[in-house]
Amino acid sequence: MPSHCGEHETAPVRSKLLTSFEMAFLSFKDVLYRRGALTVLNRVSFDLEAGETLVLLGRSGSGKTTALRLINRLLEPESGTILFDGEDIQHVDPILLRRKIGYVIQEIGLLPHWTVGQNIALVPTIAGWEPGKRDERARELLSQVGLPPDEYLRRYPRALSGGQRQRVGVARALAASPALLLFDEPFGALDPVTRREMQLQFLALRDRYQTPSVFVTHDVAEALTLASRIAVLDAGNLETIATPDDFRNVSSPVARSFLDTLTPLDKVH
Amino acid sequence: MDRMVVESLLRDIGVLSLEHLELVVIAALIAAILGVGLGVLGTRRPALRRYSLAFANIMQTVPSLALFGFLIPIPLIGGIGQRTAIISLILYALLPILRNTITGIAGVEPSVREAAVAMGMTNGQLLRFVELPLAAPTILAGLRTAVVATIGTATIAAAIGAGGLGVLIFRGLASVDTIEILAGAVPAALMALVADGLMAIAERRLEIQR
Repeated sequence: MPSHCGEHETAPVRSKLLTSFEMAFLSFKDVLYRRGALTVLNRVSFDLEAGETLVLLGRSGSGKTTALRLINRLLEPESGTILFDGEDIQHVDPILLRRKIGYVIQEIGLLPHWTVGQNIALVPTIAGWEPGKRDERARELLSQVGLPPDEYLRRYPRALSGGQRQRVGVARALAASPALLLFDEPFGALDPVTRREMQLQFLALRDRYQTPSVFVTHDVAEALTLASRIAVLDAGNLETIATPDDFRNVSSPVARSFLDTLTPLDKVH
Repeated sequence: MDRMVVESLLRDIGVLSLEHLELVVIAALIAAILGVGLGVLGTRRPALRRYSLAFANIMQTVPSLALFGFLIPIPLIGGIGQRTAIISLILYALLPILRNTITGIAGVEPSVREAAVAMGMTNGQLLRFVELPLAAPTILAGLRTAVVATIGTATIAAAIGAGGLGVLIFRGLASVDTIEILAGAVPAALMALVADGLMAIAERRLEIQR
């Protein structure tokens, strides 16, 4: 099967049939992405099952952020296929695709001229929900991420701490009940205590929503805490995929070098 | 000075100030629409950004009186009168508005734009909800520069028969009448100061809101 189906009308139907056997919620199949002479992702394939958190672990420049940005079509692969919920994303309108995918980035990117409530309701707003429903949803999510709505709903992002801002970022990603969540080193810029709180918050929200997630990090402790499975990327190649339990025993040298960054105390237990 | 002369001078100042204001308002409005429009398109198309900036730059470099002179022989837009003056005032006011629109939109934090796009905003929504509101103070600053400059340049429009406060200045110069020169120059200067002050207040309001 050709990796690119172009304008073919039959292609989405065909891919839907294929994936109904495979059950994967999100699939990368031989995805190649190059920037100039640099191969950022070298024919990477992996599957994400429903309800799962897949952590992409890798050093800076390993291609993990690129992999995320291919999923919501901020970037387009040179070849290969990405299937999302049984459909080749090449055949999905990127605007509609993105509204189904929550996105949380390290820099957060809250709109500075919108209140917390308006920021959380961003996708509901652009998708045309009625204002009453948007407000209700913003309040609900704000309390779920641990910020009392009456106190925070009308604040502007500049009046929040870094951790509070990222809580709002997470609430915004969840607002329109997305089918998939993408996290790009969301807690990387936070102090260790706040980061820990946010990781616990992440786990609590995952228990509640069961939304499948792809989570990018370079912190192996974070990966071990949050992942259903950990995929290690190195210079554009997928080195290994393993559950956190198996990950401690994999032979991949890259995975080992990540494990070596854990303090000896962590290694013991 | 004779009371009749004073009264007629005051009447002239009133009528010519309104004429002056009319020239400025029409030119600034059209320049704002063109400048913001071209600026927005320019942030989407680098080639258009280069050419429109180069064009606006050249227009602003040409001395104003010379620009009036160039336009007069051009059919349809040229000739003597208000229309030629307004067109040249537009060309003159274009650069600060265009440049500030481009700078303002380019100054939107990349992470804010990325989040907005990644959440599924269309191009139009990005413009309406993110880029224009965040660029508004910068765009307004450009408009302020343009308006103040236009109020000054519009005094020269009298030279090609477009009216305005320049009429008094030119008449005063021709008859070596200092009072008449001041009767044109002082209201024009006041108009520029008031416009500058009002727009500075508007600019600060916009900035405080974020």
